[in-house]
Amino acid sequence: MRMLVKLIGAALVLFAGTLIGFLQAARYADRPKQIRQLSSSLQRLETEIVYGRTPLPDALRTTAASAEQPAGRLLQSAADELSLGDGRTFRECWEAAMRSGWPSTSMRAPELNVTLRLGSTLGISDKDDQLKHLRLAAVQLKAEEDAAKDEQSKYEKMSRSLGLLLAALVVILMV
Amino acid sequence: MLERVAYLLPPELSEVLARLPASVLAGLEEIRIRENRPLEVWTGGGSAFVTSGGLLNNSPDGAFKPSADMCRRLLERMTNHSVYAMEEELRRGYITVEGGHRIGLAGRTVLEEGKVRSIRDIGGFNVRIARDAAGVSLNTLPMLIDRARQSIASTLIVGAPRQGKTTFIRDLARAVSYGKWPNTSGWTGRKVGIVDERSEIAACVRGVPTFDVGPRTDVMDACPKAEGMMMMIRSMSPEVLVVDEIGRDEDVEAIREAVRAGVAVVATAHAGGWQEAAARPAIRRLLQDNAFARGVVLKRSEAGLAARVIDLELVAGQNAASTASSPARAAGHSPAAPREPTSWPAAGDANAR
Repeated sequence: MRMLVKLIGAALVLFAGTLIGFLQAARYADRPKQIRQLSSSLQRLETEIVYGRTPLPDALRTTAASAEQPAGRLLQSAADELSLGDGRTFRECWEAAMRSGWPSTSMRAPELNVTLRLGSTLGISDKDDQLKHLRLAAVQLKAEEDAAKDEQSKYEKMSRSLGLLLAALVVILMV
Repeated sequence: MLERVAYLLPPELSEVLARLPASVLAGLEEIRIRENRPLEVWTGGGSAFVTSGGLLNNSPDGAFKPSADMCRRLLERMTNHSVYAMEEELRRGYITVEGGHRIGLAGRTVLEEGKVRSIRDIGGFNVRIARDAAGVSLNTLPMLIDRARQSIASTLIVGAPRQGKTTFIRDLARAVSYGKWPNTSGWTGRKVGIVDERSEIAACVRGVPTFDVGPRTDVMDACPKAEGMMMMIRSMSPEVLVVDEIGRDEDVEAIREAVRAGVAVVATAHAGGWQEAAARPAIRRLLQDNAFARGVVLKRSEAGLAARVIDLELVAGQNAASTASSPARAAGHSPAAPREPTSWPAAGDANAR
């Protein structure tokens, strides 16, 4: 009877450890993908701004509608903050939306900083200047994406096996 | 008046303005916001500075001073967070916002090849509150009718700035478009084309007029007048064309073209009076061509808008008669010559109201 409980407990610990490992690995795998999606939706935003001359709130909404998640969700919430019309500047709305939406994505602080820097320049200058800032953000995001890919190749498999191994260690120690 | 533009203003600023007495707010015409300098309002035809307690003061001492941050927020709001979409407006120095309100801007200009490309470091705003006075042209319209065509005759409206020319032609366009013809029955409304170079007549936002300009009206927004008139004639088959502030050479050719195509043109021109207007080269050429059948001189007074109508067809007829009769008189054939021709602006007075 005691043996059975121990076995079930060990199985649970192993299962949980593996799950944590897999989740961690998924975060490593998702990060470059999400950065790429964010970057491509910013490119669409660039088209709206530079060629369409669409006002920023509309441009954000159309971009958000066609973007993949979670980039679309981030842009949509920025547009929503903006449409509240409570006298805040675009930078403040953008920052609030990004900071509140970021934890639910697999992206990390470096790309958040790039996005926030972009937010402080969007909408307040002429189209040539906007183009430069958007291009700069794209280049920076590309660098972050490459770094994220590096990390993925290094840590994805490792964290998957590490989860299982650590769980195994815990089981051994408990027995 | 304030509530119409309150959505543009930063909260601190609209709070200060909301403390103004109701009578001042009702007559509010302009809000002049200058960075770190006293806040000024134009109301009921006079200027005054505003203290943070909402009192009017003739001296700038102790007046409320909008901060740089406030001005930045104001600019963001009035450009809808999109300066890049307003480059043309910044080049011209003003922005027209929803409701037809016009915001003049002053700041440091950016030049490109010697021409103004944009304004940056904007430190001065003049919020002109638009009011749509429906029915201002009601008393004048009966004198502007072309009975043969059951439409409005080609009309030139002159007046000094701030006399209500734009309000007047907007109201005319609306009356013609709805077919609100006075003392007539069975006349329908006419297709109206408005070429709105400065977005003031119809105050379009994203191509849709925010003023009621009538159901049969098409608006070519932010379009150069001469080009816009030709585009309208070619593509939208208007029966009446409405344009603001003519006076350039290319406008003359476009108006001639319109008149030749049988389109009635209702236009305004900046001038202190009829003589000044007629002295301007472009307008003189149009008058010599008899492009306009009626002239209207607008003057704003305390009682309201006063419009003096000049029947240019009558004048032209008299001039023709006088030139025809003068050789006869010179030959001494006709002692009972037609009455001495009066100079035509004075003749206009005879038909004035």
